[in-house]
Amino acid sequence: MCLHKADSGRNYADAKLIDKYNYFSDYLIKEGGDCLNTANDLLTIRNLTTSFRIKETYHAAVEDVSLSLKKNEVLAIVGESGCGKSTLATSIVGLYNTVNTKVTGEIFYNNQNLTQLNDEQFNSLRGNHIGFIFQDPLSALNPLMRIGEQIAEGLMYHTKLSKQQRQERVLELLNQVGITKPERVAKQFPHQLSGGMRQRVVIAIALSCKPSILIADEPTTALDVTIQAQILDLLKVLQSETETGIILITHDLGVVAEIADRVAVMYAGEVVEEAPVQELFTNAKHPYTRSLLNSIPQTHSENERLEVIQGMVPSLMNLPREGCRFSARIPWIDASAHERNPQLHEIAPGHFVRCTCWKHFHLEGEEGGGTV
Amino acid sequence: MEQHNNEIVKFDNSPPTGIQVVLREFKKDKVAMLSFFGITLLIVVILVASMFLNQEEILKIKLLERFTEPGVNGYRLGADEAGRDMLGQLVIGAKNSILIAFAITIITSVAGIALGIIMGYYGGFIDNLFMRIIDFFITLPSLMIIIVFVTIIPKYGVLELILIISLFQWMSTARLVRSKALSEGKRDYVNASKTMGTSNLAIMFKGILPNLSSILIVEVTLNFAGNVGIETGLSFLGFGLPPSTPSLGTLVNYATNPLVLSTKWWVWLPASILILILMLGINYVGQALRRAADAKQRMG
Repeated sequence: MCLHKADSGRNYADAKLIDKYNYFSDYLIKEGGDCLNTANDLLTIRNLTTSFRIKETYHAAVEDVSLSLKKNEVLAIVGESGCGKSTLATSIVGLYNTVNTKVTGEIFYNNQNLTQLNDEQFNSLRGNHIGFIFQDPLSALNPLMRIGEQIAEGLMYHTKLSKQQRQERVLELLNQVGITKPERVAKQFPHQLSGGMRQRVVIAIALSCKPSILIADEPTTALDVTIQAQILDLLKVLQSETETGIILITHDLGVVAEIADRVAVMYAGEVVEEAPVQELFTNAKHPYTRSLLNSIPQTHSENERLEVIQGMVPSLMNLPREGCRFSARIPWIDASAHERNPQLHEIAPGHFVRCTCWKHFHLEGEEGGGTV
Repeated sequence: MEQHNNEIVKFDNSPPTGIQVVLREFKKDKVAMLSFFGITLLIVVILVASMFLNQEEILKIKLLERFTEPGVNGYRLGADEAGRDMLGQLVIGAKNSILIAFAITIITSVAGIALGIIMGYYGGFIDNLFMRIIDFFITLPSLMIIIVFVTIIPKYGVLELILIISLFQWMSTARLVRSKALSEGKRDYVNASKTMGTSNLAIMFKGILPNLSSILIVEVTLNFAGNVGIETGLSFLGFGLPPSTPSLGTLVNYATNPLVLSTKWWVWLPASILILILMLGINYVGQALRRAADAKQRMG
């Protein structure tokens, strides 16, 4: 990804040229050099493929994903259920089952390749440098541990604070995430808190050691809308205070518009479009992104029918491994519109789209050809 | 101080936790309550009394006092065919039985829990390997093998007996804990712990283990009753403790003599009743704990 950015002023319609540049960057990496642009990248994911073993064969749930996260940036990853968003997140923090999962590619953080780390090395990073916020705050908290102990757990492993200092830090964190009466909450058990408070506690745990990367796996999905807004505000405030890079995984485009700086749209394990948030919402190109945006319920529209995308995300074992993976769900588009071997093309600075089918795409029922 | 009072009021409204649930369950179930106090009292009395008894004196053979009836000559529970005081033997035997059962329970529980959690948490190859070993052990006719061991080991005493029985009793706990740890280990809070950089060991024994505690208490209690039964059973068959160390089983064994069985009831009846009371009592307590551990079965 890094080199695309280097020449973002130019427009590469030619896939070959990009391949050439990819090859060049690979060459640089092999030579031990690093491309210049990764200097301000917090986290660089290169050609990450995560495969699960199902009946003795490996099926890739995330295929050839390259992304980067900068300091003080919110990168949103969106897609339907089963698109590999969570798999991507768990691959970054090494939460996958080592027996049934194969991870290839590189995830660079601080000149360390996360995919090569053993448990011990990972444990010194996790919690300390990388925080993780889980989707369901109730199940992410140990039911038999007091809130205070759970927040202090990470501090105990990664800092040399005394017990007293840890206690103070716990109260400070609880305060920071907007919990009133932190002294009382610290002594309570998870089941005694409301959903919103639990999610705040989960965020407090993730923030406890001041990580430089925060991975939030659908942090607002289990919450109702008013709490969602509060949690998002909280994340925004915390980010501006600590300059954390956040990877936000969600299927809620409203959340994306609210908080993200850059968006990567995933479909069937691949990034199909990546763009700054403004660009994505005003100038989405890939058929999948456009279909997603089209299916957001509109309050002001006369049309009472909810727009949907035909079909569903193919299951892991039935995933088409060749050609454009989205083609099956837009059958009204001519097969010749798709690339045989879809690549990411940079069509505007920082705006990448996979496959060429977007040039000829129109939503079903819409007349005419592409929007180019 | 006022804030402190507020807290207490708030907590009253929250659902009962831990010990409160158990207490409520026992309040509802009078038999379990009675059993609990009865068993505790019995065990304490037996352990304390055995400390003050002179074992050598009690086990000394006095043929003149053979089959003394209860209440005669200061033999409150009579004497057996060798003239030994039955009450003293009963206390010492019960102490031996209880301590052996206790030791077996501790050894098998520690081994079973540790192994079960490791199997359930790591899964995969480790799980498979130990599950096959457990399957193997379960298919063995353990009673027969214990008997063989007891006969082939030249010099065996209490410690050897404990180890031999323990060798064949750890599987059920390991299996139970494994199945629970398997489901518990997939929960999000375990992953959350991992993302905090918690080591596997800490996750297993600080994170998962407390969440299994309710079921473990039940398992351990019922195992204890079972182990009393196994020890007395073996001793009854003559493969338990050596004859020089009385246990409840050896006392009941006197009933194999038809003469004793039909006319000298004081020799075998008290020990049998004690076993019955112990087993029933512990089982009642265990049942109450089991109900307390499962919200669907609770009475209180």
